[in-house]
Amino acid sequence: MSTLTAFSEQLANAVARASQATVSVHARPKLPSTGVHWKDGVVVTTEATVQRDNDITLTLPDGKRVPATLVGRDPGSDLAALRIDQGLLPVAERGDPAALRAGHLVLALARLGDGGPRAAFGAVSATGGRWRSWKGGELALRLQSDVRLYPGFGGGPLVDAEGLVLGINSGGLSGPLATTIPANTVDRILEQLLTRGSVARGWLGAAMQPVRGGVVLLSIEPEAPAALAGLLVGDVVIGIDGRAVDSLEPLLTFLAGDVAGKNVTLDLLRGGVRTKVDVLIGERPRRTR
Amino acid sequence: MTTATSLAPVAERLTRSVVQVLSGPGGGAGVAWAPGLVVTNAHVTRAKAAGIVGPDGAQVRGRVIAWDGRRDLALIRAPVELPCCGTGDPHLRPGELVFAVGHPLGVTQAVCAGVFQALGKLPAGLRLPRLDPRLDWIQADLRLAPGNSGGPIADALGRVIGISAMILGGLGLGVPSPEIEAFVKANR
Repeated sequence: MSTLTAFSEQLANAVARASQATVSVHARPKLPSTGVHWKDGVVVTTEATVQRDNDITLTLPDGKRVPATLVGRDPGSDLAALRIDQGLLPVAERGDPAALRAGHLVLALARLGDGGPRAAFGAVSATGGRWRSWKGGELALRLQSDVRLYPGFGGGPLVDAEGLVLGINSGGLSGPLATTIPANTVDRILEQLLTRGSVARGWLGAAMQPVRGGVVLLSIEPEAPAALAGLLVGDVVIGIDGRAVDSLEPLLTFLAGDVAGKNVTLDLLRGGVRTKVDVLIGERPRRTR
Repeated sequence: MTTATSLAPVAERLTRSVVQVLSGPGGGAGVAWAPGLVVTNAHVTRAKAAGIVGPDGAQVRGRVIAWDGRRDLALIRAPVELPCCGTGDPHLRPGELVFAVGHPLGVTQAVCAGVFQALGKLPAGLRLPRLDPRLDWIQADLRLAPGNSGGPIADALGRVIGISAMILGGLGLGVPSPEIEAFVKANR
């Protein structure tokens, strides 16, 4: 066998391996999206492709169509969790997204209805540390590749050349490069979705704008955490718990974390005078769909 | 030989069977299927005559002897002396390597590589109203562009499994080789 056919075989084997835990998700009109059997009885897909809360079904690798119930969704990280009966299919075998470097070969998988698995091939283009998506969710690491996410590939797995799952591909978070929600972030979000149906994000209840050296409060919602703590319009936030806030980014990253219900101390400039105010961070009200 | 360099000889061998088909404002690629016979897409050559440019740049005049608009195939008789392509079974496994040769946007004899996705009918929700939904297609992760039409799609050994015909949702679609074989047999 030539080197090339051996390589071709390896790619097909990787697809076959990962496809055993890859399902088709029927939760929107027309084209289905893809999901991954992440733990027994729980399928993960992208939030944006779950366009209804009821009448959701999955097509399993053996072609069987089974009902699924929506456990929860997190628009910030573009993840949704669905529950099915246990023991219906194998659980995804996991790889390590943190070990990836630019140039590693990867495949994106999909299942569109009762056909076989589909694949797109490419390379990791860029990796990086913790980041916050434009939708507000915090992701443990940046994982971008040049694989093309065809229609229906959203919610499917990115796998390595062995067929081990590295994360969930998100059409909504992708730009010119495909963006993958790394497996460790999927674990973290899934845990919250399974226990409370949503992901709590910190909330101050104030409109803010960056200014020189900090962030100024432009308006404060009544009864919101900022109002209850006695913050005033015009206050300039320059730090949280001793960490500098010199632009919106550190503040938004802080609020995106697991901070709801925690007491923090804000460093402020009020009328040009430095002061400190304790705030009980609230939980961002859930968006109604 | 390393994996990274082993596609080159396979692709190079295939390009020797690939021609340009010049026909009116359109045009595209074609593949030497049998002695004196070039296969391309019906949408590449709507006229009765077409110019055939070989890999060496020499141009001859070809005559369209059969045309199937539904299956998007045309058969051209032309005095070309090129090695005929070898054909292969298009029933590949998803993820297997495939490559295409064509002239995307005027770049002649260009090779693009990708992976096989499926052989069969297009999934519901990814269909075009003007396309017969009963048609089977090679569906591949291949970045085709205008000018690839009529050019071969081959497996890792360079065996032609079909010809490029269309791009749908970014997906490369090809006419499977057994249907081409039957078309050529019926019309030669």
